[in-house]
Amino acid sequence: MTIHTLNKKLEPNVPLCTPIVEVRGLSKTYPGGVEAVRGIDFEIAAGEVFGLLGPNGAGKSTTVGMLTTTIAPSGGSARLAGFDVAKQPIAARSVSSVVFQDATVDRNLSGRANLALHARLWAVTPTEAKARIAELVDALGLGELVDRNVGSYSGGERRRLEIARALISRPRVLFLDEPTVGLDPRIRHELLDLIADVRERDETTILLTTHYLDEAQRLCDRVAIIHRGQIVALEIPDALLADLGSEVLELRVGADASAARAALGARGVPVDAVFAVGSTLTVPLRDTTAGDVMEALDSAGLAAAAISSRQPTLDDVYLRLTGDRLADAA
Amino acid sequence: MSTTTLAVPSGLTPPAVRRIPTAAAALATLAKRRASLTSRTPRQIAVPLLGPLLLALVAAPALKAATGGLRSHIDYAAFIDIGTIGLLVPLSCILAGLSVIIDREQGAQRELLAAPVPRAYLVLGNLAVALVLATLQVTVLLALAALRGAHFSITGSGMAWFVAAAVLITVFTYGVAETLASRIHKQEDYTAAIPAVAILPFFFAGALFPINAMPAALTTVAKFLPLTHALALMRYAFVDPRGTGLHAIWGMSNVTTEAWLSLGVVAAFAAALTMISIRVFSRSAVG
Repeated sequence: MTIHTLNKKLEPNVPLCTPIVEVRGLSKTYPGGVEAVRGIDFEIAAGEVFGLLGPNGAGKSTTVGMLTTTIAPSGGSARLAGFDVAKQPIAARSVSSVVFQDATVDRNLSGRANLALHARLWAVTPTEAKARIAELVDALGLGELVDRNVGSYSGGERRRLEIARALISRPRVLFLDEPTVGLDPRIRHELLDLIADVRERDETTILLTTHYLDEAQRLCDRVAIIHRGQIVALEIPDALLADLGSEVLELRVGADASAARAALGARGVPVDAVFAVGSTLTVPLRDTTAGDVMEALDSAGLAAAAISSRQPTLDDVYLRLTGDRLADAA
Repeated sequence: MSTTTLAVPSGLTPPAVRRIPTAAAALATLAKRRASLTSRTPRQIAVPLLGPLLLALVAAPALKAATGGLRSHIDYAAFIDIGTIGLLVPLSCILAGLSVIIDREQGAQRELLAAPVPRAYLVLGNLAVALVLATLQVTVLLALAALRGAHFSITGSGMAWFVAAAVLITVFTYGVAETLASRIHKQEDYTAAIPAVAILPFFFAGALFPINAMPAALTTVAKFLPLTHALALMRYAFVDPRGTGLHAIWGMSNVTTEAWLSLGVVAAFAAALTMISIRVFSRSAVG
C-alpha cells in the first residue's frame, strides 16, 4: 500500500524513465466506419512533455478523448499511472486532468466557481483547494477575472482559466488538446510560456496535441507525428530533424516536381529523403551538396524558377513522412 | 471532505494513489452546480408554474361553477388543482432536461465526463435539483389554490401518500426528460417534443375529469399511464379519501391495496426510467 495523499511531495518517488502513460494498439472506429485512430502505441515517461503532432482529423483529439475516457476505444488498451482507462476509468480520471480543444466551462458561473467545482470533483480538500486556487489565480494572472462570469471572458482568458482548473488537483498527467488554437499570436506565446512554467514547477507529465510545429519544437521532449490515425514517427524533435541534415534546399521546378525528383535520382543524387509537394522539391543536404543538386538538374534539362536554402523544420519532417503540409491540412 | 482510497493497480508502472470523492460528496457537488445554474435562470422556475397556476386559480373554479362539479363527495376545484400537478411536474422536468442539452452544447458536460465520478452521478445530481424545484412549484401551486378556496383534507398518512406519489412521478418524468435530452441533439428539436411528452399525458390521465368519463378504450389507455396512478394517489391523499380514482383503475374493494398497487406502478416506472436515462446518457455522452 502506498501513501494516500494529494501532496506531490509525499508521493512515491517515480523514476523519470518509468512510463506513466502506456498506449498499446489503441484504435477508434466511429459509427459509419470512420477509422480515426488505427492501432497506435506509445509510452510517456513521468515528467515528460510529449507532443502529438498532426493536422486536424489526424486522430489527435480522439486519442486524448480515449485517454480521458470521454471516448470509448474500439480496440487496444491504455493505462494512466497504471490504471486501465477502460477497466478502471474512475481511477484513471482521478490521476489526470484535461484542457479540451473546445471550451468546457460553465459560462454562467464565475471563474472561481468553475475552479471550486473542479476541486470538489477531484476530492481536493477545502483548505488545499482554497490555497491552490489562490496560487493558480496568481500564477495565471486571473486575479481581476476570477470573480466574473466566465461568459464575459475572452478566448485567451477562458483558456487560462481552463489550464488553472486542470492544475488544481495536481494531476499526474495533464492533457492539453490544441490549447492555443484560435488564439492570437501574443496570447498564444504567453500560453506557451505558461505551459513551460507548469512543467518546470510541478514536474507534471504533459501530453500536448498541436498542429503548430513551433509549439512542438519549443515544448516537447518527444514528438509523435500522427497521420490518418497512425503514428508515422516518434522521436525527440532534434532526432527527427537530424534525419534531414542541417540544411535543406527548396526548389520551385515549375513542372511536375515528382519527375524532377526522379531525374535527380537518375543522376546519382540520393533521393530517399527528397520530397515533392506540388511544384516544390525539397532536398535535404545531408548526403549531397547544393552544387551537386543544381548540376543534376541542369543535366536533366530542368530549371528552377526559385531556389532557397534554410534549416529544416518539423514541417519538413512531416512532409517527408506524409506528403501533406501541416498548415494546409490544418 | 471524506474520500475513498483507490486500489493500487498491478503492472510495471508505479503505484499512483489518488482520492476520489465519496458518492455523497460527488452528488452534492453536482447537485450544487445544477442548483447554481438553475438559480441563474429564473424562467426555468417560473415558466412551468404559469400555466398550471392559471388552470388551478382561474379555470378550476370557473369549471366548477359552469358544470356544477362532480356531483360527488369530491370538490371539483380541488380535483382540478391536484390534476394540474400532472401538467406542472412534466413541464418542470422537461424544462430541466433542457439544461442537459445546454451543458452539452456549451461544452461543460465534457469536463464533468472527465471527472473521477461515475457517470450516473451526473444524472442523479440533476435529478436531485429537479426534485427540489418540483417540490417548490407544487407547494406554491397548492398553497395558492388553498388560499383561493380549495379544500384539501391533509392527514399524516395522506401526506405520506402524496409525497411518495409526487416524488416518484417527478423521478419518472425527469428520467424521460434526461433520456430525451441525451438522444436529441438540438435544443429546438427537444423543445418541439415538449407538447407530446409533457402535455399529452395530462389529457389522458384524468387530470380534469375522472378517467371513466372517457370512452372505454381511452380509459384502458389511461390505466397504463404512470401519471394516472400518481394523480389518483395524490387525490386519495388530499381530496378523495374513498379512493374513487384508484377504484376506477383497479376496481377492487380495498382502497389501501389499490393505493399500494398504484404506488408500485409509479415506482416501477420511476426506477425503469431512471435506469434507462443513466444508460442512455452514459452511452450517448461517450463517443
